[in-house]
Amino acid sequence: MKKSIELIEKIEGEAELHCAYGTDGRVVDAQIQFTSARNIEKILQGRDPKDALIINPRVCGICNHAHLIATVRALEACYKSVKISQKSQICREVTLSLELIQSHFKWFYLTIMPLLGFKPAIEKALKPSRIAAEAIAAFAGQYPHNSYAIAGGIVSDITPIELINAKERIEALKKLFKESLIDADPALFKECDKIETMLKHRGDMPLAMAKIIENGWQMMGKSEDRFIVFAEGAFKKGKSIGTRVSTNISTGHIKEESIKRSLAKRVLYKDRGYEVGPLARAMLMKTALIKESHRKYADSIFSRILARVCEIPQLIIYIESLLHRLDLSEESWIDPGEFPKRAVGAGVVEAARGSLVHKVEIEEGVIKEYNIITPTQWNLGSGDIEKPGIAQKALIGLKNSDPIELVLKSFDVCSVCTTH
Amino acid sequence: MVEKLQQNRILWLSSLTCNGNSHSLLNHPNLDLLLQNIQFLYHPLLPSRYRLKEVIQNSYECEILVIEGSIDPTLKINGVKMIDVITRYSSIAEVVITAGTCSTFGGIFSRSNEKASGLHFREEKRTEDFKNIWQKSISLPGCPVHPDLIFKTIQMILKGLYIDLDECRRPKIFYGWTVHDGCNRNEYYEYKIGHHRFGEMEGCMFIDHGCRAPFTRGSCNKILWNGINSKTRAGQPCSGCTEPDFPAFNLWETKKHMGIPAHAPLGVPKRAYISIAGVAKAFKIERFEKRILKKGSAVEKKH
Repeated sequence: MKKSIELIEKIEGEAELHCAYGTDGRVVDAQIQFTSARNIEKILQGRDPKDALIINPRVCGICNHAHLIATVRALEACYKSVKISQKSQICREVTLSLELIQSHFKWFYLTIMPLLGFKPAIEKALKPSRIAAEAIAAFAGQYPHNSYAIAGGIVSDITPIELINAKERIEALKKLFKESLIDADPALFKECDKIETMLKHRGDMPLAMAKIIENGWQMMGKSEDRFIVFAEGAFKKGKSIGTRVSTNISTGHIKEESIKRSLAKRVLYKDRGYEVGPLARAMLMKTALIKESHRKYADSIFSRILARVCEIPQLIIYIESLLHRLDLSEESWIDPGEFPKRAVGAGVVEAARGSLVHKVEIEEGVIKEYNIITPTQWNLGSGDIEKPGIAQKALIGLKNSDPIELVLKSFDVCSVCTTH
Repeated sequence: MVEKLQQNRILWLSSLTCNGNSHSLLNHPNLDLLLQNIQFLYHPLLPSRYRLKEVIQNSYECEILVIEGSIDPTLKINGVKMIDVITRYSSIAEVVITAGTCSTFGGIFSRSNEKASGLHFREEKRTEDFKNIWQKSISLPGCPVHPDLIFKTIQMILKGLYIDLDECRRPKIFYGWTVHDGCNRNEYYEYKIGHHRFGEMEGCMFIDHGCRAPFTRGSCNKILWNGINSKTRAGQPCSGCTEPDFPAFNLWETKKHMGIPAHAPLGVPKRAYISIAGVAKAFKIERFEKRILKKGSAVEKKH
């Protein structure tokens, strides 16, 4: 049996992709192996729970804010009850959504476009992500790696100045979306429900999607067609088997399993693997354009890539509606009182790449155990041939000449998160 | 280091990292200008001349080596020990920059890994490794390092400008003063008025809430983050992320002995601090006794 080992780079670190090919030249097994581990969960043991707010963003340079929000939710869940103002809730949602936007832009322009043969457009990636980072910093002090969300709210006093600073940048993001991704207003584009209509527009989104069709790749990268979303806010919680949605899910059914030869763990929900991320979220929200894409191309790279780019206008509209409701006269922070000496708590959040779960156990006032389950573990955790992981299944059956790297990176692997 | 470089090839290598420094650099508003003047042989995010595999297997000429992440001597990528790759390229490069606290002092990821350290330091302690490249090293700690510090350091190197370094090889222009310098809560600090409540712009966070800015070297409050803000301006106590001991314990509380902060401002004898604090506290200053921003004054008119 022919075997290959590829070093996959620029995935927030690296991973090794081990492929085995059958006699017909198709992938019969694919193992994704991560070779480093940083043990951030160990660093937390014995510490004041609030230290996790500073340490956890450092799990990941690109989704650090999602780790902060998951941490604060896990800490708040340790209290019997915590009151937080609508103002601070809105601010957290806004900064989290902005982080997703910057990540989506970077991924589309720096990862996907070059793999489709386009020249890397650095400024098209970095200008919007820089502006989104500035808008986060307006509220949160800096980006990346702030800790502005604390149990009971946020540390910042949002005045009209911060609001104006943020709003200016949301406007700029809207303009950039129209200028580079698709020549349509985000609100109007949200209504678009036909692939054909989307392809007729000008912009890099239709250009990329047309290229996938032109190359005949639109059916590639199909996986289990099972999706799961744990956190709400901009999205809807639930699982979807194909298009059959059920909203009754609980983090209690999540199980982590060690994988041979890799320092990452795979994750299952009731013993089955699920895809997390933008495609899963679109399936749960029944986003019109993605529904059509799924009908035509199932859970292929076409649907997966389109779903992620389509989140940008959705999130911009979401942020605008949140800021419209923001009442600056509310408290930013309501004292939740002494942190409980003994408690457990879990926090979930939708990070750019999918559901992120944090669980904490407090004993004698310090962290006893901390557990982080990242989106990449859901999507990239390898299984065996009988029960392959999500990305593994997407790769099996591909020929050597097929876009293997594109299929893998359509999930947007995050090595650093996975090896936290 | 004062000689102008003939070519501008930069190699960016990562060890145990979160990639935060790589992403931080991407937020620099003039990154495109830098990219016109330099060539990345490899960068973890940006389009690069070589693939990482090639960089690991070969020895390419380069002028500047940037290292991100704690250096773990056991870490292998593509079957090769990263420390060997770093050793090889650090002897080729004319300047070696440690970007971030991890590659400078070991940082977060050396806390769970006894073998991991910074290039020349494990926390405050000098290590024996890489002694031979001490003279060409520049330390840029920070978690992450501010993008402008990398940007300006590279500019200074490219232009052949003299960089004045301190005992940890940090450029004094960035690390000679503390994060406290430029904080907009300084009036409260001067008169030792805590009165800080999270969610408010008033009050000094050094008094009760663990702010480490008065003894943390850095320029966050002068150059500002993302061009508009800083942690302490927003209301988050400085966590001392540029310092060798980052992350310290109990980061949201000021450790005190008999009501006096255990950690005095950088270089200030404790007795001097206590005397001055005592005098400052003796006065009641009306202006600082109540909130300056009236609650409710900040309501946006509903449309």
